[in-house]
Amino acid sequence: MEPTKEKESEQTARQLPDSEVATTTAEGAEGAIDLEALLAGDEKAFEQLVIQESPRLFRVIVRILGDDDEAESILQETYLQAYQRMHTFRKESKLTTWLYAIGINLARASLRKSRRLSSLEDQEVEKMQPDFNRGMFVETPGAWDPSKITELSDRQQLVRRGIEQLPEDYRTIVVLRDIEEYSTDEVAQMLDISSGAVRVRLHRARGALRKLLDPHFRRQPAE
Amino acid sequence: MKALTILKTALGLAPGCKKVNEFLAEYVDGELDDKTRMQFEDHIGLCGCCNHYLDQYKTTISMTKETMEVNVPSELAEHTLTFLRKNADFSGS
Repeated sequence: MEPTKEKESEQTARQLPDSEVATTTAEGAEGAIDLEALLAGDEKAFEQLVIQESPRLFRVIVRILGDDDEAESILQETYLQAYQRMHTFRKESKLTTWLYAIGINLARASLRKSRRLSSLEDQEVEKMQPDFNRGMFVETPGAWDPSKITELSDRQQLVRRGIEQLPEDYRTIVVLRDIEEYSTDEVAQMLDISSGAVRVRLHRARGALRKLLDPHFRRQPAE
Repeated sequence: MKALTILKTALGLAPGCKKVNEFLAEYVDGELDDKTRMQFEDHIGLCGCCNHYLDQYKTTISMTKETMEVNVPSELAEHTLTFLRKNADFSGS
């Protein structure tokens, strides 16, 4: 039998043996910002939103774009759009989720405009996932050498390069989930995709990164 | 893997490597219910392949977290407020 690769589309429901994935909550604290004042056009409340959220939103945008100057421009445009569209916020998500969705969309539009493309295509990410035959690994993953991981001086550079190689939508999910630690549901709302699609892309992105790092950290076979 | 686990997997009574891998993100992120998590742990505890893969998967996540440090400009918020005062009907305080 030919080895089978995980090629299920993100729309295909994945099924666990006899249980379901527990859901995570999307609600949380909004900090000290007075939402009602904000919605009523209170400039002081909006200023507070700018001061409170700018650092984190800037980090997210920089990590998507890889360009500090462009990220600052996008951040400013994000707040301008948020200020002008505040009346459209329907409280269906956290305010910050709504704000970050604006910023992420602007960052993605900037990427498309500048044609700063990732080196990996979606299909290549899929091919970087492990192969299975009759539900079992076809090839045993080679063990990593912990001393190589701790001693490799350009480890951060390797990981950064790997993240930058990921297709933009995978990279954005890695940034939001694994670096900024937003919940799956929050990321789904920010990107306007299903939570299932976030989980599938996150898993494939992590698998692709693991594959890219594997040759650098693999334990040498004993002489 | 132990014979009983292989048999259970073959009969579809326990998850195999492919199923465990498919839901590894949920497992690592603590999004599986207790029963499924325990089934996964039974499998991973006996399967060298999944054990290695899980270890590397977790290491990849932790290395991702420590990477991509970003220096946030100290005047970032003030620059944005200045931009808003210029470009929107925003006076600020």
